Amino acid sequence: MAGLAPDSREQLRAVATLRWRLVLNSLRSVRGRMNLVSRSIAGLLVTAAGLGGAFALGATAWELTRTHKLEWLAAFFWIVFLFWQFFPVMATAFTQNIDTSALLRFPLSYKTYFFVRLAMGTLDIATALGLFWSFGLVIGISAAAPRLIPWAVVAVLGFIVFNVLLARAIFVWIEHWLSRRRSREIMGLLFFVLMIGFQFIGPALDHYAKKPTGQRFGYVAKLVPVQRALPPGLSASVIAAAGSGNASGLLGPLALLIAYSGAALALLHLRLRQQYRGENPEGNAASTATAEDAAIRPGWKLPFFSAPVSAVFEKEVRYFSRSGPMLFTMIMPLVVILLLWGGRKSFLQHQSEFFFPIGAGYCLLVMTNLVYNSFGGDGGGIQSFLMAPITFRQVVFAKNLAQFAVLVVEVAILLLGVSLIYRPPHPVFLVLTFCWYLFAAPINFGVGNLLSLYSPKKIDYAVFGRQRASETTIFASLGVQLVVMGIGAFAIFLGYHYDNYWLGTLILAVLAIPAITAYLILMRRIDAIVMTRREVLATELCKA
Amino acid sequence: MEAAILTENLTRRFGDFTAVQDVNLRVETGQFYGFLGPNGAGKSTTIKMLTGLMAPTSGRMQILGVDLATHMVDVKRQIGVVPEGMALFGRLTGSEYLNFVGRMYGLDRTTAAQRAAELLEFMELTDHPKTLITDYSHGMQKKLAMAAAVIHGPKVLFLDEPFEGVDAIASNTLKAMLQRMISRGATIFLTSHVLEIVERLCTHVGIINNGRLVAQGPLDDLRVSTADEASPGERMSLEEFFLKTVGGPRTAAQELSWLG
Repeated sequence: MAGLAPDSREQLRAVATLRWRLVLNSLRSVRGRMNLVSRSIAGLLVTAAGLGGAFALGATAWELTRTHKLEWLAAFFWIVFLFWQFFPVMATAFTQNIDTSALLRFPLSYKTYFFVRLAMGTLDIATALGLFWSFGLVIGISAAAPRLIPWAVVAVLGFIVFNVLLARAIFVWIEHWLSRRRSREIMGLLFFVLMIGFQFIGPALDHYAKKPTGQRFGYVAKLVPVQRALPPGLSASVIAAAGSGNASGLLGPLALLIAYSGAALALLHLRLRQQYRGENPEGNAASTATAEDAAIRPGWKLPFFSAPVSAVFEKEVRYFSRSGPMLFTMIMPLVVILLLWGGRKSFLQHQSEFFFPIGAGYCLLVMTNLVYNSFGGDGGGIQSFLMAPITFRQVVFAKNLAQFAVLVVEVAILLLGVSLIYRPPHPVFLVLTFCWYLFAAPINFGVGNLLSLYSPKKIDYAVFGRQRASETTIFASLGVQLVVMGIGAFAIFLGYHYDNYWLGTLILAVLAIPAITAYLILMRRIDAIVMTRREVLATELCKA
Repeated sequence: MEAAILTENLTRRFGDFTAVQDVNLRVETGQFYGFLGPNGAGKSTTIKMLTGLMAPTSGRMQILGVDLATHMVDVKRQIGVVPEGMALFGRLTGSEYLNFVGRMYGLDRTTAAQRAAELLEFMELTDHPKTLITDYSHGMQKKLAMAAAVIHGPKVLFLDEPFEGVDAIASNTLKAMLQRMISRGATIFLTSHVLEIVERLCTHVGIINNGRLVAQGPLDDLRVSTADEASPGERMSLEEFFLKTVGGPRTAAQELSWLG
């Protein structure tokens, strides 16, 4: 802040005040107050997870410091680093990328814009937990060896700065790539190359596992210098060097850590500078349709379904297929196959019968964003639905149908993957998974439809990190997922315990009856609900 | 003659604030009706109620003799709307959107595709077949919203600020289209801040101020009836009539001395 001009400080104060006023004004509605309650609960949970993790990491750091095994701290720096960088990308439902582009119309200096983007982007769960855990490490080290406090603080601060900058850099670059069709395709290709690359992890582990112990340690020893040259290892090296009293030995790692932070800063600067200059292709190339879309052809006609249902279904599929972030989320179940492939020759092969049900559960989980805020991406288009001379039930049903179609495709790919990598699942597991879906899907769709109507939030399908539903919706959906997953796990446990998986299957089949009935009853009431909710829907989703 | 649009004591409150109070509209079939009022007077709220996007707190509405509250789907089939937010799906192309809307209004797939093509041609939107709506200019979006509103051949058309952001050439095209619709017996209910447009197009006018309908009738009658006070026999312009009806131009009590 010290380097900012006085007017920049005033601008930052104005932005902070704006955010605060937005929070206060949101409390005027019941939905806003519910979101605040959900946010408070989320805050408590994050604090609990942060304090718990900090305590565990602190205790471990204390023990390692006390026993002079400071170099082992690297493992824990790596854990924090991997979580910090991967969680925001993998779990976009918990990640929020605030749109600050509107700020560009004001006479903001680049420094102020950069600071605002950095500050607002770091208000997320991964950063909060990363900070808690990093400070846990500092406290553990400091408690065991107070003389290390200055170096522990410096190393951990360097680690934090690097993580904050890198996380933002990754985010803004992914957002940039996913917003352009050509680079989105390249990203997709890279992703599949990465998947194929991962497939070699399993064989590689098998290969090295067969080597004699001494040789295996030799391979591990070869990896140690590599990790030491990377920021988590460097942070540990600084502390380890300080611990061994090697003052000159810590300067190298520290300098390198600062250099890495500088590189992350440069990456972030490069992209934000482009945005600041207005070179922002979001929504341009991304929104270019393919050549075949140019021809005016009759729309789709789904057999057995009415024209409006077919029309909404077609619209939904086109929306999914044009949203890089949505495709990115939906491709995640394929990661399950990838992991299975990697472990096909390890101990995992003995548990392979569980892979299909677990993978199918994950497929439903990644649909949460889509199902629980299904009008969020429609924006002002919601009025088209409300003005059309059809029952709203048809719209909701078509949306559920499109979501279900995506699920079916994902589960089919999963089934194919599991069958090819291991063997086709035993019929009882196929039926069990099918029955679980009969029970879990109607519950998810039913509650999802209700939350979509009662707690809508406008989202942007085009920009990475702007698919997050309202806090109330996130909490409610997590609750529902916990219940349906828990019941599924219980059914499997019963089968395992009694050595008869048909028992769990039967329970799920029975539970499916009330679930489907409840869904149908809800669908009958949808139009009445929409009549009372239409103004809120239109107001919330037509917001600029 | 049966009224195309009829409201009785139409009222809408938001908490303590009354946006629309006891509005009694009567728009006959075939009329081009301009609905005017200052900002915040209740125009958009009224149009939202008339198109089923918002529920009235009290009062009745009939469109083409059918009660909106009890036969909403039947009414919607007969009307076309360009609402305040334009109701577009940004991530569809123009042709996909028109196709979609056509089928939502019950057109078969072939007819929807044919009409979509004709409308895109008419609106001069065929130069951008691959562009998604989100990348259209504001004027192009307005034209597309207008195309969507008429694709099913509505008998009553509700237009909320249809010419806002539309260039002069497109504006002329749209006006010609609307006048053709009127000549074929359709009814148009339009809100606009551009009084010249209303004066040129509309046969009848209603003025709402602070939620109350303060004037309604044939445009020519209204201008004459109020003109006689000042200069008998002369007609006021719509702007003069409007300013007189809603309270006249505000005189600046103090100058903004800091404004260059």
